[in-house]
Amino acid sequence: MAQNVRESSVGGRPGAPLAAAVSAWVIYLFLIMPSLVVIPMSFGDKDEFMFPPESLSFYLYGQYFFESTWMATTLQSFEVAILTTFLSLLFGVTAAYGVVRGNFPGKRFVTLFLLSPILVPVIVVALGLYLYFSTLGLSGTTFGLVLGHTVHATPFVIVIAMAGLRHVDPNLEAAARLMGASHVLTLRKVTLPLLKPTLIAGSLFAFLISFDEVVIAYFVSNTTTETLPVKMYSAIQWEISPVLAAISTLLIVLSLVICVSGTALQKDDEKGE
Amino acid sequence: MVLEPRTEGGSEHRDRKVWLESCAKHYGSVVALAEVELAVEDGEFLTLLGPSGSGKTTLLNLIAGMVQPTSGRIWIDGADITRVPPSKRGIGMVFQNYALMPHMTVFENIAFPLRVRKMAEAEIRRKVGEVLDIVRLPDVGKRKPSELSGGQQQRIAIARCIVYNPSIILMDEPLGALDKKLREELQLELKQLHTQLGITVLYVTHDQEEALTMSDRIVLLNHGKIEQMGPPDELYFQPRTLFAAEFLGDSNIFDGTVAGLGEFVSVYSEPGASMMARPAPIAEIGKAVKVLVRPENLTLLRQCEESGLANRLSAEMVDSIILGGVIKCYVRLSDDTTVVVQELTKAERAPPPPGSKVSVAWSAEDTLILPAVGGMTEGGGTAAA
Repeated sequence: MAQNVRESSVGGRPGAPLAAAVSAWVIYLFLIMPSLVVIPMSFGDKDEFMFPPESLSFYLYGQYFFESTWMATTLQSFEVAILTTFLSLLFGVTAAYGVVRGNFPGKRFVTLFLLSPILVPVIVVALGLYLYFSTLGLSGTTFGLVLGHTVHATPFVIVIAMAGLRHVDPNLEAAARLMGASHVLTLRKVTLPLLKPTLIAGSLFAFLISFDEVVIAYFVSNTTTETLPVKMYSAIQWEISPVLAAISTLLIVLSLVICVSGTALQKDDEKGE
Repeated sequence: MVLEPRTEGGSEHRDRKVWLESCAKHYGSVVALAEVELAVEDGEFLTLLGPSGSGKTTLLNLIAGMVQPTSGRIWIDGADITRVPPSKRGIGMVFQNYALMPHMTVFENIAFPLRVRKMAEAEIRRKVGEVLDIVRLPDVGKRKPSELSGGQQQRIAIARCIVYNPSIILMDEPLGALDKKLREELQLELKQLHTQLGITVLYVTHDQEEALTMSDRIVLLNHGKIEQMGPPDELYFQPRTLFAAEFLGDSNIFDGTVAGLGEFVSVYSEPGASMMARPAPIAEIGKAVKVLVRPENLTLLRQCEESGLANRLSAEMVDSIILGGVIKCYVRLSDDTTVVVQELTKAERAPPPPGSKVSVAWSAEDTLILPAVGGMTEGGGTAAA
């Protein structure tokens, strides 16, 4: 069947696969270009955006690391992202466990409810949090920011954890229980070790979601608690600083490192089994 | 949690390993298990046999504590454990898919129940080594379960059970995922382990041959009810219902009406003949019954051969199949019912060619009469897996 399709396309219109490949590459380059263009720009040596840069230097990186408050904001972003990762993993994995292993009336409704933040536009969530947090006095606090990001990231962790749990044979848990292990011991010795790849994927995802998030952070934070994306957004509005190119390049590297190490860890795990 | 063993159930339950006291399980309006009384004796190999949806897995899960009975109580070693969680029941279980922990080595898998019991490390090493010897896999301790074959994995699962001396080992179709040859090998091995170690086993299967091979006693389940319970030979030679007769072994079944009582019961049957059958309490003159005769008890006769057997019907040869040591002959009676005859294969006695006139004959002792209702094909009640 597959062979027939290939033969007919090759014999019928020889140009078709080539055209498809070319258009695919054009679209791909179009999509990736904006990301790539900031990399050469980040090595410029002037306080304005230049493409291509006249000469290469680490001037902008020096600005990022040693000048202004960029580093403090970056640390704030890390803090928020790490706390968000812990909270959303805690809520997401326990919720997924209840929904996948549990058997109670209204299970479908509960699942839908848990995933509903995905269905609501982020701007709506952000506005809701802004209004809600200002009555609670959480507006502008790091804690509020973490809660906001947790609301945003948890449904994604739930989806990942549900898929992971479906791959853990319930008989393994039943076997452990019958051999005398309590619920907690079964979770600690059987379920969680088997969920390790899922937990890694979930935490990387939650971290990136929080680190990258701008809308909720923009609404909930103030100048003392703002995160890196918020500060970048403000910077492009008010000062158009080419440091942004250096930061963007670093963010690309960070994302790449996280994704690649995540994949590598999962591969190692599969080999280990 | 401190468990107060409740022992008010009467002394006759105390020496029983497991005692299901009027246990039933309903899922909404679906009856997975109708009210059942079942005792497992110490050291017994008891098999729950039945088609899928007959309630055998429900029964097993009730004892394991995976599901709660709708009514009734469950006793293990004289203690009421109906509300006791699975982890405190002291039960072992072997699963069809082995359920070995993929992230642990074979050694750690077998050590798991011992570590849960906080046993000393030296003791754990000694015990795990012992059971690995018992299942004849002494050198696999460092491997992961996925590096072993299916048969080896199941032996490890069995070792993981016997290592902590559970009061009963439940086995849920443990050989179902293995091929036929390996299955037969492991059947013998399991049976040997059972005798050698004196363990109590509750075995679930839908394979009647497996049940007949291994069991001390068989509990035949159908539609959530116990159809018949007894040693394998009793179930095979004295089935009490049509279902039991059809489920265990092959059978030829005729419709008939009881015509006379005496040393043997005489039954008037559809193919236009009178048959003699073993006496049975259900026989009353004029009552519609089913007549059962096993294929291996039938003799195939050429047209004019004499046999001296009590029952004889003339028939037409349809086909014959050689299955190695035995040969199966299919013959058609005058009313178009097909009868299977199973004989030992003999070189000098080839089956007659299709179309030739033959007779089938059998003795009155090999003929059973059964109630006319309750066969495998009839619905009767709701049941779930």
